[in-house]
Amino acid sequence: MSAITAACAIAILIPLGDIIYQAALLGGPTLSFSVLTAGLPQPCSVPVNGVPCAVGGIGPALQGTGILVGLAALVSVPIGLAAAIFAVEYRGRFLGTAISFTADVLTGVPSVIAGVFIYAYFVIYDPALVFSVITGTLALSVIMIPIVTRTCEEALRTVPHAVREAALALGIPKWRTTLQIVVVSALPAILTGILLSVMRAAGEAAPLLFTAFGSRLGFEGFNNPIEALPLLIYNFAESASNNWIHLAWAAALILIILILITNILSRLTIARMVRRMRGE
Amino acid sequence: MANGKMRVEHLSAYYGNRRAIEDISLEFPKNEVSAIIGPSGCGKSTLVRCLNRLHETLPRTRVEGRILLDGEDILELDPIGVRRRVGMVFQRPNPFVTMSIYDNVSVSLRFNGRHSREEIDRAVIRSLQQAALWDEVKDRVDAPAMSLSGGQQQRLCIARALAAEPEVLLMDEPCSALDPVATAKIESLVAELKSEYTLVIVTHNMQQAGRVADNTAFLYLGKLVEVGPTEELFERPKERLTEQYITGRFG
Amino acid sequence: MSGDSPATPEEPRGADTELRRLKVRAKEMGQWALQMVHDGWEAFRTGNLVGAQNVLDSDTRLDRFDEEIEHEIITFLVLRQPAAGDLRTAAALLKISTHLDRIGRLGFDMARITTLEVLPDVPELSSVLRSMDLTVESIVQQSLDALVEDQPALALGLFVRDDEVDRMHREAMRLIVRELARDPNSARHLSNELLVARHFERIADNACKIGEKTIYAVTGQRRSEYLPRHPYTPYVLEKSAPE
Repeated sequence: MSAITAACAIAILIPLGDIIYQAALLGGPTLSFSVLTAGLPQPCSVPVNGVPCAVGGIGPALQGTGILVGLAALVSVPIGLAAAIFAVEYRGRFLGTAISFTADVLTGVPSVIAGVFIYAYFVIYDPALVFSVITGTLALSVIMIPIVTRTCEEALRTVPHAVREAALALGIPKWRTTLQIVVVSALPAILTGILLSVMRAAGEAAPLLFTAFGSRLGFEGFNNPIEALPLLIYNFAESASNNWIHLAWAAALILIILILITNILSRLTIARMVRRMRGE
Repeated sequence: MANGKMRVEHLSAYYGNRRAIEDISLEFPKNEVSAIIGPSGCGKSTLVRCLNRLHETLPRTRVEGRILLDGEDILELDPIGVRRRVGMVFQRPNPFVTMSIYDNVSVSLRFNGRHSREEIDRAVIRSLQQAALWDEVKDRVDAPAMSLSGGQQQRLCIARALAAEPEVLLMDEPCSALDPVATAKIESLVAELKSEYTLVIVTHNMQQAGRVADNTAFLYLGKLVEVGPTEELFERPKERLTEQYITGRFG
Repeated sequence: MSGDSPATPEEPRGADTELRRLKVRAKEMGQWALQMVHDGWEAFRTGNLVGAQNVLDSDTRLDRFDEEIEHEIITFLVLRQPAAGDLRTAAALLKISTHLDRIGRLGFDMARITTLEVLPDVPELSSVLRSMDLTVESIVQQSLDALVEDQPALALGLFVRDDEVDRMHREAMRLIVRELARDPNSARHLSNELLVARHFERIADNACKIGEKTIYAVTGQRRSEYLPRHPYTPYVLEKSAPE
């Protein structure tokens, strides 16, 4: 029996290993510090007039991902956490059940729908902003909020009722009990949930197709389009130009590395937090 | 009835449509230990949770009647204020897992009003001494609360409740999760505490009621069957139902 | 403790059975003591030294009864930590065994003062003493029955019969004093009769105490709650029946 489960475990690791290997193989050579900061080059496959193809860089995409994910997190985390708190602490009311159910359903919605939804809304109400940082942020938020809500809800539910009762019995008002005691004791799980949603958002291209749209330059203002790593990969990977293809692989490798690092670092930090809380 | 620190008059409590307590009138004399005994499901926990208005924090609950603290009906006062005057210790020790011993005891001070560091220090030491825990933890008040044993955690919860300087202390089966040695420590603590506080203790262990309580009330199916000085109730109960319960003829 | 459903009264369990058994044991001891009283009186009345010796030998068994009952009650107390009726019954039984032991000892004493001399013929005295024996044996039996059958009403009836024994005792004393005045040489055996009369009175007293404990076990009431205080005065001030 354990041989079968071991075999399955290895079977899962193989695709992951393969992806990382391919990305390293094909994106590694292109990667350098300048590539991380430089702007996007003109598409080019063969040298023109003796000038070799510009390597260029993925700077704007890195910047764009950072801005979009950061802003989306800024929007999603408070809303998601508040919704989760309401659903758990004020359970028994219809709204609480509704929130829980809705978040559940929305986590299953295809991410491209999020983009199309925001796109359609802005096409009708404010066409000038259709392709902008604002819409990109909103599209990513539509993905992130349900994830944050669901995971925070689970985290809050695991806090034993006894903790709330102990605080209430001391004459601590409910709102303070919720924020300063319940949320604090569920913090590791909440942070994990936020982390999950951030990583998901960082890797999504579909919602950004119709919203952030992509751009050749870096940040040009909230009202203007912006680039992002997944978008760049999507756009450049199909291109006929070699330098663009190289950059796509480099971007893929960077994205994978970023996600891996974020994941590992955060897990370590949260685990340390948990150990400290438990007094070990 | 002049020295009744707390009194309930015609109290009924509901969970939704289910009536858990029916028309109970009972007095808790000042600086005495009152025990509430009865079989599982008789409403003793519900009764006690009405005394600090914790009952109403659950959804769809309702209370009828009056609950008087020093003559004032607590149902008409601010519940937060009531809970600061009527403290509670629960069946399973429930210290705040993420906090140290010091932080646990000082919670009520840190969250209610502004106090200086010295004031808080003094209050923490005093409460831990009152709970007979100070000697065991004085070198490690910053250690996590979870590093204590079960019995110590329960005494920590008592210290935490006492730090809020309540007038009444409610104890809901405080020893049922503890071993006999820890139980004995808490029982002797109860005897010491009554000089300063009024105590109400719910227990399913009749010998415990016999050991610590001045007065005992017997509840059955949500109704008060009999109440009186503990020795009288245990030697010569007036009601047949009481006699059957305490001689173990049922339950 | 049962789970979620509220508990309800059930059939009697261990404590009931155990207490019943202890009461039956006490009655056995009582029967033994009563036998010692009867045989001791008979031996004394008829001057039967062999009979008297049998009574003296029965003392060992009486002691053993007492020890066994005490041990079993202590065990009951320690293991079951009883309350209310169970506790009162156990406490009552401890004292009752002491009273039963005293009753047996009084029979023992009657055997011990047996001599070869038969009772001289003071007919009134003999008849009083015989009545005392019959009454007292019946009283002791009644106290044992009241205990085993949990009958406080039956126990209550003992007190008035004890008054009767007291009257017989005073009558015997009067007769003895009169006889002593008439024939000082009879002092030696008359003093034995005086002792026997006293013993009977003590036996009835002990039986009453057993009744008191029975009432306490069942109802929790102590003597002062159901009997007015008996106005005792020294014998010499009492008006006795005319000679």
